[in-house]
Amino acid sequence: MKFRAKIVDAACLNHFTRVSATIAKLAKTCTLRISPQKLNFIVSDKAASGGVSMWCELEQENFFSEFQMEGVSAENNAIYLELLSENLSRALKTAQNARALKIKLTNKHFPCLTVSIELLSVSSSSRIVTHDIPVKVIPRKLWKDLQEPTVPVSDVSIYLPVLKTMKSIVEKMKNISNHLIIEANLSGELNLKIETELVCVTTHFKDLGNPQSDIVRNKIIHFDLLHEDVSLQYFIPAFS
Amino acid sequence: MLKCGMSGSQVKVFGKAIQALSRISDELWLDPSEKGLALRSVNSCRSAYGCVLFSPVFFQHYQWSTSVKVNENDSTTSNLNCKLGMKSILPIFRCLNSLERNVEKCKIFTSSDLCKVVIQFFCRHGIRRTHNVCFQESQPLQVIFEKNMCSNMLIIQPRVLAEAVVLFTSSQEEVTLAVTPLSVCLKSSSDEPMDLTSSVYSEMFVGPDEFDFFQIGADTEITFCFKELKGMLTFSEATHAPIAIHFDFPGKPMALSIDDMLLEANFILATLADEPSRASSPPSLCLSQKQKRSDLMCSTNNNSKTGKNATSKAPGCILRKAAPKRLYPNETQTDIPALENCGSPIMKRVNEDISEVPESSVSNTEEGPGSSYLSFLACSLEQFLLTSDNTSTTLLTVWQQQVTVKRT
Repeated sequence: MKFRAKIVDAACLNHFTRVSATIAKLAKTCTLRISPQKLNFIVSDKAASGGVSMWCELEQENFFSEFQMEGVSAENNAIYLELLSENLSRALKTAQNARALKIKLTNKHFPCLTVSIELLSVSSSSRIVTHDIPVKVIPRKLWKDLQEPTVPVSDVSIYLPVLKTMKSIVEKMKNISNHLIIEANLSGELNLKIETELVCVTTHFKDLGNPQSDIVRNKIIHFDLLHEDVSLQYFIPAFS
Repeated sequence: MLKCGMSGSQVKVFGKAIQALSRISDELWLDPSEKGLALRSVNSCRSAYGCVLFSPVFFQHYQWSTSVKVNENDSTTSNLNCKLGMKSILPIFRCLNSLERNVEKCKIFTSSDLCKVVIQFFCRHGIRRTHNVCFQESQPLQVIFEKNMCSNMLIIQPRVLAEAVVLFTSSQEEVTLAVTPLSVCLKSSSDEPMDLTSSVYSEMFVGPDEFDFFQIGADTEITFCFKELKGMLTFSEATHAPIAIHFDFPGKPMALSIDDMLLEANFILATLADEPSRASSPPSLCLSQKQKRSDLMCSTNNNSKTGKNATSKAPGCILRKAAPKRLYPNETQTDIPALENCGSPIMKRVNEDISEVPESSVSNTEEGPGSSYLSFLACSLEQFLLTSDNTSTTLLTVWQQQVTVKRT
């Protein structure tokens, strides 16, 4: 198994760092799937993470100037690594003004993802920073649990309002109640509601578009974030 | 007796010094002298010592006088001998930015008669805040460390060190500084075998031209406590002065110091020694009470007189090899028979008989870990020092696997 990749563009590096930071906020451990064309961050549907699962996909050529990988075997040309998402995020954050960033799979007493950063410094010499992030190689027999989840047929599909607004509303609601009720219909209306013994607060959003798509049973809420070269799908099981 | 005053911006630097020293231990010695006001701190396992000496020109005004005690035929001058708890003094110097803005003048005064230090802040709008902090009478310990004798010295701007320190998580306990004549590397240090949950190993190579001064005698790698380095770093950022790092080989203490016109700060940290197969090492930390400063010197006294009624007891200190390798104090000091691995019994406890001139010494250990493990000595020494009175000078010397404790 081999993996080595390099990022030289500052904007790509920044973007990759932000994706990694987002993953770190969503899940403590995640699986990194490396394949010839893509990089995936996967959090699978286990009880440990509260039933939440996530699938994030990046087209490798949008980020890396060099990308070489060799999977487990020719037929199974992929590598699945388990790591603590915080470790990768923190390592990437130290690469703020890097000239170049290299990532490779190494085995120094233990399999590691080695992030090697060449930093610009005030003086002429550059500084080299290396981080060895411990990873666990996931054996092939467990790969079937880590496939892209099929999006079930949906009851309602709706475009969310401006995320910043939603974020500030949900954050305030978090202080009042642990459960959030989401109501949406095919007329572009969305309600975020919390109910407690003392108070009931609802925020109404109107005129949101409904994409032409499938219907889902109201068992799972599927958030699909599409942004330039990254797609992130996040599944939250509902209580009722 | 001490009486000094400073302005708001000086209070900030003073407070930063206290905060840096609080990373070393929970106790602070306030030690005024004609050279200025020294703040000292030693950690419980004697693996770290910090001293910040503010010269009289740092203050707006500085007055110090010793009190003279007439004692039988002698009259002796005694210093302040003031030991404060960090828990009492640290909260006073919290929120340094707001102190800098609001405080117009700060006065600190004390005398030996009242066992308290009074810190007064004269703030804007006519507000005056007074803190009375009680202190314990205790002679400060001082480390004698010839930093200029170290073969390796680096001077670096605090900003560069801060950029390196950011790589490591706050849970990182120890870091290693590895130097060669061509490069300097700061890296995380960990003994445990790696697994998925262990922390990330990080390292940063810095070229010699990033240093203000670069003198490396030989390739060396020293490992020391990260927390204490961070403490010193935040202080140096407040003073904007470059940090000098003096060090030799593993096991010998290292010094981090700041030297400018107004103050002198020294943080002496123990470093992890190599495996016991090393040859014995020359004197490392020398602790002494500071009664007569002119007398302080490291001698190579190898007399092996043992004190009467000496009992051998394993001191309850944390010692490398017997306990997990640590340079920082544990929550609870456990009584580990720390010298199991050392072959022969090391320390004989001196009887507290003041009429004699007791001496105790350490017998040679053929294959012992060498004289760099001073933590065990220091704990036994503390017992010994507490019994001394103000008229004596106590000298501890460590040389070639022998330890001599002498009281004159």
